[in-house]
Amino acid sequence: MEISNIQLLKRFKSFAFAVFIFNFTVFSNFALAQGEGLFKAKCATCHMPHKNSTGPKLFGVRAKWADGGAKDGSIYQWVNNWQTAAANDPYAAEVSKWSPTAMSAFPDLKKEDIDAILDWVDAQPDPAMATDTNGGGNTVGSISAADDQESNSWIWIIMGVIFVVVILAVGGVRRQLRLATEQDESEKMTYGEELRALAWKYRLQVGLVSLVVVISLFVGLFQTLYSINVMEGYQPSQPIAFPHSQHAGINGIDCKYCHNTVTKSKSASIPSVNVCMNCHKQIDGEGKPFANEIKKIYAAAGWDKAAMAYNGKTNPIVWNKVHNLPDHVYFNHSQHVVVGGIDCKQCHGDMTQMQETAMVQPVEELNKIEGNIKLTRKTLTMGWCIECHSKKDVAIGTGKNAYYDEIHRRLKKDPKLYAQYLNNDGKITVNELGGWECAKCHY
Amino acid sequence: MEMSKKYWKGIDELKQTPEFIKHKEQEFVNQQTVEEFLADENLAESSTARRDFLKFLGFSVAAATLAACEAPVTKVVPYGVKPENVTPGMPTWYASTYYDGSSYASIMVKTREGRPIFIKGNKDFGFTKGGTNPQIIASVLGLYDSARLAHPLAKGQKASWSTVDAGIAAAIAGAKKVTLLSNTIISPSLKRAISQMASNMNGEGGVKFEHIQYDAISYAAMREANLLNFGSRIIPSYDFSKAKTIVSIGADFLSTWLLPTEFAVQYGSRRNPEADWMSKHYHFESVLTVTGSNADARGMIKPSEEADVLNYMIKRMNGEAATAGSWKDVAERAISALKVSKGESIVVAGSNNIGIQQLANQLNNLLGAYGTTLDLNNTIELHQSEDAKTQTLASNVAAGNGPDVLIMMGVNPVYSLPNGAAFAKGLSKIGTTIAISGFEDETASLCTYVCPEHHQLENWADYRAKTNEYAIGQPTIRPLHNTSSALESLLVWNGTAQRGGADSAVAYDYIKATFAAMNPSGDFNYLTHNSCTTLDIESNALAFSAAPIKQLPKSADTEVVFYQKSAIGNGQFANNPWLQEMPDPVTKVTWDNYITMNPVEMEGTYATTYDQEHGLNLATVSVNGKSLTLPVYPLPGQAPKTIGIALGYGRGANGEKIGKAAFQTKEYGGHAKTEDGKLTPIGANVFGLVSTGATFLYSAAAKITPTEGTYPIAATQIHHTVMGRDSIVRETTLSIFKNHDKDAFNEGHKLQKLDKHGEHVEAPVSEFDLWAAHPVEKIGHRWGISIDLSSCIGCGSCLIACQSENNVPVVGKDEVRRGREMHWLRIDRYFASDEEAAVGVKKDKENFNYDNAEKAALNPSVVHMPLMCHHCNHAPCETVCPVAATTHSNEGLNQMTYNRCIGTRYCANNCPYKVRRFNWFNYPSYKKFTEINPAQDDLGRMVLNPDVTVRTRGVMEKCSLCVQRIQATKLVAKKEARTVNDGDLTTACSDACPTEAIVVGDWNDLKSMIREKSESTRAYQALEEVGVKPNVWYQVKVRNEENAVLEHIKVSAHQQH
Repeated sequence: MEISNIQLLKRFKSFAFAVFIFNFTVFSNFALAQGEGLFKAKCATCHMPHKNSTGPKLFGVRAKWADGGAKDGSIYQWVNNWQTAAANDPYAAEVSKWSPTAMSAFPDLKKEDIDAILDWVDAQPDPAMATDTNGGGNTVGSISAADDQESNSWIWIIMGVIFVVVILAVGGVRRQLRLATEQDESEKMTYGEELRALAWKYRLQVGLVSLVVVISLFVGLFQTLYSINVMEGYQPSQPIAFPHSQHAGINGIDCKYCHNTVTKSKSASIPSVNVCMNCHKQIDGEGKPFANEIKKIYAAAGWDKAAMAYNGKTNPIVWNKVHNLPDHVYFNHSQHVVVGGIDCKQCHGDMTQMQETAMVQPVEELNKIEGNIKLTRKTLTMGWCIECHSKKDVAIGTGKNAYYDEIHRRLKKDPKLYAQYLNNDGKITVNELGGWECAKCHY
Repeated sequence: MEMSKKYWKGIDELKQTPEFIKHKEQEFVNQQTVEEFLADENLAESSTARRDFLKFLGFSVAAATLAACEAPVTKVVPYGVKPENVTPGMPTWYASTYYDGSSYASIMVKTREGRPIFIKGNKDFGFTKGGTNPQIIASVLGLYDSARLAHPLAKGQKASWSTVDAGIAAAIAGAKKVTLLSNTIISPSLKRAISQMASNMNGEGGVKFEHIQYDAISYAAMREANLLNFGSRIIPSYDFSKAKTIVSIGADFLSTWLLPTEFAVQYGSRRNPEADWMSKHYHFESVLTVTGSNADARGMIKPSEEADVLNYMIKRMNGEAATAGSWKDVAERAISALKVSKGESIVVAGSNNIGIQQLANQLNNLLGAYGTTLDLNNTIELHQSEDAKTQTLASNVAAGNGPDVLIMMGVNPVYSLPNGAAFAKGLSKIGTTIAISGFEDETASLCTYVCPEHHQLENWADYRAKTNEYAIGQPTIRPLHNTSSALESLLVWNGTAQRGGADSAVAYDYIKATFAAMNPSGDFNYLTHNSCTTLDIESNALAFSAAPIKQLPKSADTEVVFYQKSAIGNGQFANNPWLQEMPDPVTKVTWDNYITMNPVEMEGTYATTYDQEHGLNLATVSVNGKSLTLPVYPLPGQAPKTIGIALGYGRGANGEKIGKAAFQTKEYGGHAKTEDGKLTPIGANVFGLVSTGATFLYSAAAKITPTEGTYPIAATQIHHTVMGRDSIVRETTLSIFKNHDKDAFNEGHKLQKLDKHGEHVEAPVSEFDLWAAHPVEKIGHRWGISIDLSSCIGCGSCLIACQSENNVPVVGKDEVRRGREMHWLRIDRYFASDEEAAVGVKKDKENFNYDNAEKAALNPSVVHMPLMCHHCNHAPCETVCPVAATTHSNEGLNQMTYNRCIGTRYCANNCPYKVRRFNWFNYPSYKKFTEINPAQDDLGRMVLNPDVTVRTRGVMEKCSLCVQRIQATKLVAKKEARTVNDGDLTTACSDACPTEAIVVGDWNDLKSMIREKSESTRAYQALEEVGVKPNVWYQVKVRNEENAVLEHIKVSAHQQH
């Protein structure tokens, strides 16, 4: 119950964040939208509107060419194939010396397309001029699930206590009134004795109620004990507020690009800063509220932005681990991703929507994702692992993996067992090949 | 037979020892009154009263409950810039080379996230062909020893390299005489640097610089004898794989002699009875060594008789008559074997007496060994000890006439010289003493300057252990401390290099240059990939010429032999708790050295049995006027009138900082201190008793006198025979194996059953099943192990490798004495008794004397049997676990789930092989183990294998068949979409085995080695009749000897049957 409250709260936060992002991507009309799309698809790898990166900045580039004495239309020729333009136009030939890195040819871009792109670029305000309106607005704090739960339960407990006190007080008043009217001293009983007599009178009801209370206390206790160390909803704060939604979602970067050991090793591993720097050498977020976060990458990588060079001093970033397995569990990512063909989403949820730092997704969230195996146990508990192992089938005897073909061949030597495996659900599950065995994960 | 069967409660009752009689009437020995109990001072140490205890209990329950509610925050730190060849979570292997001054091997180092965690032999490159020894495997732990010097010292104080270098350079410049005392240098680069040093100093001003090589264990006699016989101080290469007959006179060549890493591999390759031929191995020695225990026939001799044996054989080979001692029978058999295998024989002598080595040369020459099994062109460059020069230097230093500057590199003369104490005093009279050493050891602690050396795993180094091979040792970790390569230090002092700091390339560049000069066309990167390359050598055309035999040892009434144990060796690694706790392959004693004596000789004077309560009697040994007291250990096979004492013990006599594990600990933790507050070394140093002369001699005349008192000893095995039972170990001879069917050497167990007609018939055990079979016969994998008792030499490498791979804790002497050692793999050693024709075969079934069968024979044959969890398909442990913490996998593994285990120990009780180990303590944190368990040390913890759980108190553990490797092997195959190939899977033990006695694999793969081995006629399963259906097979031990008694029992008697 409490967990869904938190979810609600989180969703609200996400919404606020999305609105926030939206502010930066205002566009006025369709042509500009088209220009933006083309710019991001074709040019953004090397060019920026207001800053030189691999290629020169593009703001006002048409005017610049015209002022510089370039031939008319030469700039469009340049975009289609810079070598042709350089051969025809001395100004273009001069421009080609700007950087030793050659620009790619874009023969499919028509004049209108190029104008749309450059119109969009010219419409971009210079962030260096813009005032910082919303700086520091996106620091990610994490709400502790435990805090919330506690505050709620305290209210209930206090209300319960007040309730009991009120009942007892009312009973006491009623008794005093009765005592005052009754004259017979011999039948005078203390409050406690009276309560006991009352309880005895209704012993069946009292007994039943007590039984129910005791049983529910026990159930509650066990549930509490079982939920100890359940990691669902765990979302520690991180040194860098890294939005997966921006990288995996909007930019569409494959998970395996950054978490590149996921196919090789047991750990997917947090990427080292040099992986970040592949893109963030260019993307410095100058003027954007997240520029501070990107500066942290530069500090870690030892990147001197002014000199566009590394200074050789690296300071590894200390992250907080989100998906924590106890030490006595062996989990291998490559086994699941490469051999099992499991999508990252199955366990980590849809990271393309994850606008804040990573968190352990509750199983209800995971189940909403299309293509996921639906599970009932809490995320990152052993029940959750083995539930999946008993549902996931192994592609066996398909000729795709010689290892499983051999296992299949051997399995068929015992037709009875083979039939038994198939009879349950028509497939051979991980469990049936030993995926529930202790020493598969514990050694 | 009348009803006279008697049962004893133990050996004490049988022997009616005085203690037993005293305590006979008491049910509980050592009864204490309440007053006594309360007065116990040890209890006062634990000042926990009952009320306090309850308070703690209440508090910790509350604290644990609170703490459990919130998961601790775990930090994760990725690389700043990830090195290209490191994948977090995956091991990176480096090919490198190991050399510590005595052992040499080409090795593979496994690193995880940049820290080395496991070492194994390199089977693909290098002449050692994968051979290693326990010390090499355990050396990875030495890297993380917190006692290693972290910075240079000047006059005992922390100093910077620049201060130390300036001081040393000034001292050298101002000196008249500079001496470099080093261990054997096989590094061409170091040699080049030293010769540069010499040419710089020995200029016009005369000879100023001298270099002396000195090894704690010297082989100088071999080089001197070869100088006399061949005119050159060489040691030829030995090839035991070409020798059909091997005769060893006191040379423990499988464990400690010369180059055992290479010899064990060669020897093992010819111990397969199924092959075309199997070598015959004759051995003469005083102390029963690893090699002696593997011999086909063994003669017991005094050290002074070594020359007699050689002389006798030379004469008999020449057809002359000769006189012989009690060893005549074995010698005659050896001679007849040698006569048949001329040109295919090897004779090796272990003595460091020049005369004996000359005789061995003479015999080898007679046998045509030179040019066949011995290669004079390709020589062994190890062991260049110059004994005479060292002795001169030592006595000069002791007398105060030492050089002005004495540099000691890789040596510890204060500990290992016979006159070490006098030498130590003399050191203070030398102007400048410099030690290049990893530790502030006995010698370094007395030096003016101590220049800490890199550990081998941090160091660039090159080696030429044999003339035809150049090898590279490469760093596998960035230096942990502010240490430096010895090569760099010499170059800096020589003025040819500048200090390079932590990432110094000085040594690397120098080595590269050395290689380029030696091998101009060679590719250095390719060299580092393989770790070694072959060099062309020229034939040196040496020929044998007779020379007068030098002085031979004199005979004495009682003689002592100073030998090396396979774990501790020369004492260099006395601070390595893995090695200290490794049971000696023959005596099974840990954490001590002792006097070995034949139990037959000990009868009446010394106790010949010992256990948890009863120690060994003490005795005092006097040699050359020096004496020391040690316990006397009953070692069957020890030559009468000889005793043996292991070298390498008694390190850190003055409490030098050589490592916590090098000293004795108390029952409740902490170091044991002597009366004057010093740390107590483990065992006694017997280097002081080594005789000097032309060479150092490791045997001498001795006097031994019983001394008052007993000493508790920690042995992992205190029963020594199998009492004629054939269900544990099986042994036969080559002729029985070759000429008869399986029943003659490997008869299966049979049980009675009723046939269809109700008749009693015998049927093999395999037909009986108490439980339904696990579905492991056909589907999936079924992992199994085969252990060949014929090729297993009992060296103990597998045990250390297992400890390294599986994070096995060290428990210390006190716990070993309580039978609580944690080794997942143990090696049982069984002696034959006089009642047995061979180990496990009763001579006379009718009149078998159990009394005598308990005692090992005077000179028993020995079987080594590695034993780990048998992964029984009908595992008795699984059925008794109340919480299903130990279960069976459908791959045939007996799985142990630590988190489920509640520690009832029913499983250990029910295990017929006694291979389960219980965690009595929290070894990674309890104070009793602080000194010895590396897991309690921030640095030592780095050696732990991250893929294997560190077990905590109260759970059972045992061999998992390296399940982490099985899983990894399967995963590699799955990712590559291929089947698991035979040989893909190796366990730590099979990796380490130099003789390839241990084979692992998938039994369900019909073409696998393990399947083939399990179906061989030699295959049997230990305790097969119990019906537990293990996944471990043993191969019957085949001895290449003539054993008429055994043949009679097994063949003639069988046929009558």
